[in-house]
Order: sequence, then C-alpha cells, then structure tokens
Amino acid sequence: MGWNWTRAKVKRRDFLQITVGLSTGLFLLPAPVRAGKFFASPVARNRLRPPGAVPEEIFAGKCIRCGRCVEVCPYKSIVPLDIGNGVYAGTPLVYAETVPCYLCMKCVAVCPTGTLRKISQQETRMGLAVLNRQLCHNWQDQILCRTCYDVCPFKNQAISLEELRPVVHEEACTGCGICTHACPLTAENGDKAINIEPLYAGARVQW
Amino acid sequence: MPGPGCSGDPVSDRGERRGQGLRLLRLLVQSGALGLIVAAPLLNFYLHIDFIQGWYQSLSIGKLWFVSPLEGLESLLVAKVIYFPLLIGMFIPVLLAYFLGRVFCGWICPVNFLSDLSDRLVNVVAGKKKHCDLLVFPRQIFWFALIVELIFTMVLGTPLFVFLSPPGLIGREIMRVVFFHTLAWEGLVVAAVLLANLVTRRMFCRYFCPLGALLAFLGGRRRLKVFFDPDSCTRCGQCRRACPLGLDPAAGDGRSPYCWNCGECVESCKPASLRLGWDKRQ
Repeated sequence: MGWNWTRAKVKRRDFLQITVGLSTGLFLLPAPVRAGKFFASPVARNRLRPPGAVPEEIFAGKCIRCGRCVEVCPYKSIVPLDIGNGVYAGTPLVYAETVPCYLCMKCVAVCPTGTLRKISQQETRMGLAVLNRQLCHNWQDQILCRTCYDVCPFKNQAISLEELRPVVHEEACTGCGICTHACPLTAENGDKAINIEPLYAGARVQW
Repeated sequence: MPGPGCSGDPVSDRGERRGQGLRLLRLLVQSGALGLIVAAPLLNFYLHIDFIQGWYQSLSIGKLWFVSPLEGLESLLVAKVIYFPLLIGMFIPVLLAYFLGRVFCGWICPVNFLSDLSDRLVNVVAGKKKHCDLLVFPRQIFWFALIVELIFTMVLGTPLFVFLSPPGLIGREIMRVVFFHTLAWEGLVVAAVLLANLVTRRMFCRYFCPLGALLAFLGGRRRLKVFFDPDSCTRCGQCRRACPLGLDPAAGDGRSPYCWNCGECVESCKPASLRLGWDKRQ
C-alpha cells in the first residue's frame, strides 16, 4: 500500500513539524511529571496493593486498569489512582489507615489479567504489620490497649500478646491493615503505632 | 485547507432515503453500550450487585468475561507470561473483529458515541450539516500509531494505551463519579479527543487510536463489508461526505480495513448503491 503522501492534504513537512512540535511540548510539562515521579510507584507505608498482587516491578504493566477490583470491593477499600501517579494512573491502591482490606478476596476472583493472583486469605501478603514500640501505649507502659490484637483477623497467629504487649508474627501476618486502621494512636506524620510495610511488593520477577 | 467533506450541501428530503435502518439501530446499540457502563458502577455501589462489572477494557457479565484485545496484548507483552483466563477473555472480541471488522469502534465505543452526539450538538449550534476536515493525514499513520504504541509499551514496561485510553477513561471516570463523587484530570484526554473532532471528524479514531488499528488489522479479511454497486451510483458524493472517517465508499473504501461498518454512507446513499452486507465467499 505504501505511504501515499500525495493523496494526503498534509505534506510530509507539515507532519514532521507537528511531530517535532508535539515532542518538544513534552519538555514543557511540569518538572515533577518529567522526572522520576512519573514512573515512581505509589506503594509505600500503608499504601498497599490489593491481595495477591504481582510484584510492583510488573504491576503497572500487567494491570489493564479495568477497575473491576474497585467496583467489586464491598468495603470501598480499593481506590483507583489518578494521573498524579503517572503511569500508575488507574491502578488500585488500598489506603490502610483509611479503609483497610477485610480480606473478602472478591477482587482476586474478578481480576482478568492475573495481576491479582488467585490466592487464599492466609496466603495474602499485602505487607507486614510493623509495630512502632516508641509510640505504642503498651510498650511505653502508659495504658493497656489491645486494639490491634482484638481486631486482627488472625488473632494469636499474626498478632499475639506477650506480657500484655502486642507482638506481630511475620509468618501469619497478611498485611490487611485492619490493625493500622483501628490503632488509636496517630503520629504527627500521619503514621499509626502499627503500620503496614509493603515488603513483598519489592520482590523481583522471575522471567 | 478544506478537506474533501467541506462543501457539502445539506442532505435534503429525508423521506426519500432508502437506508437499511442502520442509523436507528446503531443509536440504540451505542446507547445500550454506554448505558451498560453507567449501570454497572451504580448497581455495584448502591445495590452490591456485581453481576456486571467494568467497562470496555474488561467487562464481565456474570461469568462471561471480555478483555479488550489491545489491553490484553499489552499485558501479555509486558508480563511475558501467558495467562489463560486473559486469552479466553480476549477470544470473543478478537473473533468479533475478525468477522465484523472494527464494529466495536463504530457501534459500541463510547468515544465514538459521544463524538456522534457532540457532532449533532455542533450541527444544531452552528447550523452546519457537515463538518470540514481541516487536517488530513495519510491514513496509514494508523498502523504507525499501533506499532509505536506496542514498541513503547515493551521498552517502558508500562502499557501506554491502557492508562490513557479514551474509551477506558470514560468508564473509569463514570465509576469514579459514582464511587468517589469526583473526577480525575486525565478525563481531559476524552475532552481533547472530542475537541479534535472540530478540526477533523474522528481525528483520534482515524489516525491515532491503537485499539482501532489493532481491530482493523484483525478484521483485514472481515466478512461484514459495505458493498458498492457502480451501475446505480449517481456520483453524488453524499457517501463521502457522510463518512465520519473521511473514506470514499464509492472508491471501494467500504471494504478497506479502515472502515468501521457504521453504515452512515449506506444511510446517506439515495440510489441505494451501497449496502452493508455479509461477504459470502464461495
């Protein structure tokens, strides 16, 4: 078929001008957009992917932003990101201290791309709850609070009380964030005394 | 520079038209398709009915799952792993494109529907029956857009079309309004695509939509086509003016991969020289 420039109303020169003009325009974007922020992952402390998520390395590539996990989530835990997150726009994120994941596993069942792998509640590793002993009332011997222990869906497995102080057990903690959400203590920077660290999101992909 | 569709005199005497009723049918299908992705988040949010989920990136009706072929392809290319539920979700859309061509664009895509509606609005406001195509590129740019899109996707490891696809964004913004009572800035992409219609009708759909290009590629040997009968043609040129993609059905463009089988030319053809029909290969 070939490039039929004679039939077209825009000549090759105009086309090149438009192309070059548009690509030059990209450099006029605000600096943070151009810089690494555009490709920076939104996953951080208490900012978690839904259960079963593939490593962050390929999450943005595998997820097709169909939003079905958001729609199906009965607790509205899953929020779709917007363009402020660059190429991660449209991917799902759980804000643990706002609305945690209640591990109903509905999102896992509907994901059409396998970005959320079909795993069980127990296998879920959205992150790991890490207790800040400098903040926690129990560890500071101020008052007796066992909120995180009481709300944990895997009580005595993921969080146990040792001498009335909560202790997290890595082998059972799903990182659902229910403890973070329930924790009555909020630090100045918005952290709780128990936070979810998305440790597993940084796993390398086995190609 | 005025394009080919510019000097069109308005189509008069509506009563005489001998179409196939495609215009009404298409309006109904398009409305239903948009209604579906409006109803889905409403049902999910207010009634917790998850029978229908998603929009035209991935849609599920009960246990029937659809995945948009381009989005699925990009996901597979980036992940470099075959995921069978994804392939099965892509199966029906690919089959549809293989036999019917770009019917998704012409009959379902909410971007085209909103473009059709905004065209009518412009016609009412500006009193113009047909738009001018002010900027006309070689239509082969279409394939270029698809190839660039796929290569960029693989280089960056991030699908470009997926997070800024206009049909996907419409669904995402509807869901965002229902669920979070807010809109996101990327919705402006849809507005830009609609505004570009003022320069050239379906500017984005014609030249830059990689999904349209993939569907056109899949439908290269499609069965549903616009057939042209040169004997009854009066060379009035109405079909060329009616075509939202700037194609010339009287020159056989109705069988080219670019055509999305919307049937506008068929409806505009008074001597009924054009017909949307099934190619019965012997």
